[in-house]
Amino acid sequence: MAETIEKKEETGIIAKAKDFVTTIPYNKIGMKDLLDFEKTPRNMLIAVVTLVLLALFVVGVAIFLVHGHHAYNVTREHPWGILLAVYIFFVVSSTGLCIIGSLGDVFGFKDYELISKRAIFGSIVTILAGFAVIIFEIGHPVTMLIYNVLTPGLTSAIWWMGTLYGLYLTFMIIEFVFLLKHDMKMAKIFGLTGLLVGLLAHSNLGGVFGFLNAREIANGVFYPTYFILTAFITGVFISFIIMGIRYKLDFPEKVKTMLTGLAKIQALLISILIFFITWKMLTDIYGGMPNRAEVAIHILGSWTFWAEVILAMIIPLALILKDMGKSHVVLFWASLSGMVGIFFMRYNLVHDSQLKPLQMMKTTEYQLAPEWIHYVPSSTAIMISLGGLGLCIAMYYVGTKLFNLDADEEH
Amino acid sequence: MARYGMALDYKNCINCKACEVACKEENGVLMGADKHRIWVGVNEIEGEYPLLDIVSNSFEPSQCQHCDDAPCQEVCPTNATYYDDNGVVRVNSDQCILCSYCMVACPYDARFVDDRTMTVDKCNFCSDTRLERGETTTACQNTCPTKVRTFGDLDDPESEISELLRTREHYTLKAHLGTKPKLYYLT
Repeated sequence: MAETIEKKEETGIIAKAKDFVTTIPYNKIGMKDLLDFEKTPRNMLIAVVTLVLLALFVVGVAIFLVHGHHAYNVTREHPWGILLAVYIFFVVSSTGLCIIGSLGDVFGFKDYELISKRAIFGSIVTILAGFAVIIFEIGHPVTMLIYNVLTPGLTSAIWWMGTLYGLYLTFMIIEFVFLLKHDMKMAKIFGLTGLLVGLLAHSNLGGVFGFLNAREIANGVFYPTYFILTAFITGVFISFIIMGIRYKLDFPEKVKTMLTGLAKIQALLISILIFFITWKMLTDIYGGMPNRAEVAIHILGSWTFWAEVILAMIIPLALILKDMGKSHVVLFWASLSGMVGIFFMRYNLVHDSQLKPLQMMKTTEYQLAPEWIHYVPSSTAIMISLGGLGLCIAMYYVGTKLFNLDADEEH
Repeated sequence: MARYGMALDYKNCINCKACEVACKEENGVLMGADKHRIWVGVNEIEGEYPLLDIVSNSFEPSQCQHCDDAPCQEVCPTNATYYDDNGVVRVNSDQCILCSYCMVACPYDARFVDDRTMTVDKCNFCSDTRLERGETTTACQNTCPTKVRTFGDLDDPESEISELLRTREHYTLKAHLGTKPKLYYLT
């Protein structure tokens, strides 16, 4: 008797789960639907560029599968290359979009509800692109999945970061499903949980660098907090880009109000970032601390640092302040500049942390100890990196066809 | 169970590199300039003739410091880097995922990628070669013509290394980082 009741309950749960999954609203699409877009020169250009990027990904991965890590131009002294920077670029984008998505659905700011679904979907797409890139940077991804569980390194920031990002992705997907089903209460619960887990994961990513006692330029509290700030900034940049594409730069009034609000927040965030960076540089250089001051001075002399400052900070801030965020089309382009700057920001973070050689003595007979560690990304690494961007665009495009990412009427 | 360490009477080093060769031979380390578990660091003579600063010219043999608080072990996400029963910092290549975090975290540049297993490799005091065969010396120590290296149990007060550390002044590399290295440089 008890067995029959248990079985019935079990069947009930399965039926409920089945019912839950089958009632997720989505559009049935085929290849024909994917190819069905307005054939304007701009759209055709984006389509061709995306296909080229995807092709580069395939070629890059193929070269990696044949030559392994040798294809990445990473060395004993510079073991982390551009792929790690690109992974950080994507996961920062994901955390940023999660923050933006939460403004409306979790914190109840009405003006921002109209981007929630799109931002949360964007956060899923960007983190998947990040994962797609990092599995080709990690030497043994399958071993990672096994031993992350069997012998977890609980003192490792990478373990926490990876595990929490896995959880974060799960919560984001659940939140997105509830958003699609208009279940705002559950979306809020999972959105808040996902946001908190995402922030923890993201600050742990900062901790990966902050815990490096051996690298004075990275060691300390700066990166774990700075990562959260720059994630928010990245989220605002991407919001401008995805809304610009959605409305073909012809924004309705409601969207304009939201974008002006986001621009004002962005002005504050970028100002804080400039303040942070200035004080980081000053404290790094002041007093001439060995291994820190000279690295900071070296960074100040590198063009990639100034690319980061000009593209991600000066240009967007100046254009926002010009009329307090009312020129939305201009800010769309400023956000593209900002994202290029954010890429340099991630690249600089990874490269600058490894700039200073740890061995200052000559170790082979005819080789002087290097003053600085040099690194140039290999073509394979660049192809996989660009391919990550292609994957991101392609997944987002498929999502726009599969789901209704616009705000619902009751919003 | 022991607590292995090494004392280096580095001023005796003549940079013959026999230790590097012996290490490669004994432990099957791959050829190539950056594939080395141990190395001899060279400080060139500074100044210009005739004002040469001859004391600046020195040789500093080095390797993994087998820290008691090893940053490489702390950062390993899968515990592939571990302390064995003798306090030796080792890598289990089956568990290594090649995230390279340990290579970035090690303050001594003591780690590299073994191209055969595509995992991180480093000095393990010949634990899986000579020590496993029951020998009590490492290959680098055994081959050194000027007896720079003394390997032994730091917990055994009767060991040669304990005697050396009691009677000779010594220092450790980058001690300010709090890694508590078990390689001691005798002065």
